[in-house]
Amino acid sequence: MKITIKSFANIRDVLGQAELPMELAPRATLTDLFTRLNSEYGENFNRQVYDQLSGELVPFLILINDKTYRTTVDMDTPLSDGDVVTIMIPFDGG
Amino acid sequence: MNSLTYKGYIGKILRVNLTDGTWSDFSLTDELVEKYIGGAGLAARILYDELEPGVDPLSPENKAIFLTGPVNGTMIPAASRVGLYAKSPLTNSFFHSSAGGHFGAELKYAGYDGIILEGASEKPVYLFIDEGNVELRDASHLWGLDSNTVQHEMHEELGSEEIHIAAIGPAGENLVRFACVICGCRALGRGGLGAVLGSKKVKAVAVRGQGSVEVPDMRKMRLLLDELFAKFNANPSTSEIMPRYGTPVLVNANNTLGMFGHNNWQDEFYTESEGLSGETMRKQLVKRDKSCFACPARCSKFSIVGEGQNEGCCVEGPEYEDIFSLGSMCGHNNLDVVAAGERLCDDIGVDAIEAGVSIAFAMECYEKGLITDKETDGIELRFGRDDLILPLIEKMGRREGNLGNLLAEGVKRASEQVGQGSEFFAMQNKGLTFPGHSARGMPGFALGYATGPRGASHHDSRPTGERTGLVKRDTIEGKGEYTARINHLNILTDSMIVCHLPEAIWGPLDITDNVVRCLNAVTGMDLTLDQARKTAERIWNMIRMFSVREGYRREHDTLPGRFMEEPIKTGPSKGMVISREMLDYMLDQYYEFRGWDKETGVPTREKLEELGLEDLTEDAANL
Repeated sequence: MKITIKSFANIRDVLGQAELPMELAPRATLTDLFTRLNSEYGENFNRQVYDQLSGELVPFLILINDKTYRTTVDMDTPLSDGDVVTIMIPFDGG
Repeated sequence: MNSLTYKGYIGKILRVNLTDGTWSDFSLTDELVEKYIGGAGLAARILYDELEPGVDPLSPENKAIFLTGPVNGTMIPAASRVGLYAKSPLTNSFFHSSAGGHFGAELKYAGYDGIILEGASEKPVYLFIDEGNVELRDASHLWGLDSNTVQHEMHEELGSEEIHIAAIGPAGENLVRFACVICGCRALGRGGLGAVLGSKKVKAVAVRGQGSVEVPDMRKMRLLLDELFAKFNANPSTSEIMPRYGTPVLVNANNTLGMFGHNNWQDEFYTESEGLSGETMRKQLVKRDKSCFACPARCSKFSIVGEGQNEGCCVEGPEYEDIFSLGSMCGHNNLDVVAAGERLCDDIGVDAIEAGVSIAFAMECYEKGLITDKETDGIELRFGRDDLILPLIEKMGRREGNLGNLLAEGVKRASEQVGQGSEFFAMQNKGLTFPGHSARGMPGFALGYATGPRGASHHDSRPTGERTGLVKRDTIEGKGEYTARINHLNILTDSMIVCHLPEAIWGPLDITDNVVRCLNAVTGMDLTLDQARKTAERIWNMIRMFSVREGYRREHDTLPGRFMEEPIKTGPSKGMVISREMLDYMLDQYYEFRGWDKETGVPTREKLEELGLEDLTEDAANL
């Protein structure tokens, strides 16, 4: 299936474009997507979303077609063909 | 001689009587620092004890306190802060504002934990603390200068650029109710504390010192620092995003979630936000990254406007809040104007959040016909007019004309003058305007805004838990306890004093061991996590009692009509609103968790006694 990844800031810098089309296996989950991004973009991507001591994905939000999901509890969410996945940035403060 | 058991403190505060030009030392005691730590906690206790209820914030009877905490001047990461405390001319209650940079550390190296300024001078003065020596100098020749020029003039006069200065601009002198104090390029921004200094005729405070801050065990301290710096370097927020984009990264983040205030919060989704984004700013303005004292995050940005009418304007910033208030709230996305506006706010000495939100309020009043050319001195105030931002900052800072004077009073008082229902969209609580984080999109944060002792501050509660998904943002369940625990994290860190921005390390949902270990390592206290939380709760209740004594009750823990009656119109958060019923439900949860009376919002006798605030029970009983 085909999805589109939208991103900004550091993640956009790593992915190289604001909207990135990606081919995933049917019923791939958010975890599968992040595994794929980690594999394709390596440490540059890993440092933006994973704590480098614990190795864990840090808390942030992901939008699938404008609906909000949380990395803390929703990573098993399956994706569907045509989904637009917006990766928010794990930014505290402000 | 420092008689404290605990390290980390110098042990004394300088008390300056501006009326007669004398000064003395105020010695810290073990009991004071055990119960109130420093910074906001200690200042609240001192001001509660020394101010009469009802005192006019701009009278000599008010006091202004510069204060550090035990960790300032050490290498604890993000311990760069200094706080300024007084009864606020905007909110009429206890207010604390802190700034990063280097002033706090230097004040301790100069020999004092803080400075109490009381009374009022007849003529302009500045205070100079040089290696423990105190002088009160004439500042008549500096009166009227902007906050940047006055620092340059004083560096020249005092013969060194190594001296750290906190100064007011013309707005503080003109008693603009949201005048700020500038330390270097950083602002003690909110609450109008610059006007308190102006009312005392204090143009500036300068400090220089080569002292040090003692800690109990340097070996243990180094081990802790190694661990903390490793955590900062491992966390994506502090190691990657803050250094690259700083707080302006939130423009796209909040707008993507549909939580970016636009046109005076008439909506929270701005289709043209990319022009204001951290990414655009990085390309268009930023020349280098900057750090505050002892902070590895480098979130501050040094920017220069490259072309156009404001070419050459340089500024530390703009921060997210400036971009929100001076840009999106006023309906334009001209980042050059925002940068120049932020610089002008600093120079003239006004809080950029209050300034931008005041302009946005006036624009909506004008577009709705509630004010006319007569009140605006002929200016056609409309959203999107980026050409008005700089002239209006000048007018409010100098109180020029009808409009300048109206805006200089802040949104709450301006709406009271305008009337005609404008209170509905006067985006403030308790006199303080809302910063750039959504209330409607984050119910727990809305509760934090409503109950904030400073009013609509984004540092009494925090948006982070809901914005990053640590808790669900589309529910009101559990938000009472959630908000109270974040209050405690914030007030403890504001008393130590460390910056809130590395929240992933300090919390972000409650006080964690990382905070307590810093406090223990620097002071030699042996606080458990539970004891630290109890200390924070004591300070929070102390501050609540200050507000209660000034007349604040449950009915003041509220939100503007717009946030309670107008759902967000467009974007991913479309439809979200915090109705009165929702707010009431959360307030009940909050007061119940806190042990406060649900009808009035006043801390109960039992709660005050439990927290060791027995001396306040009589005040609570006599209300």
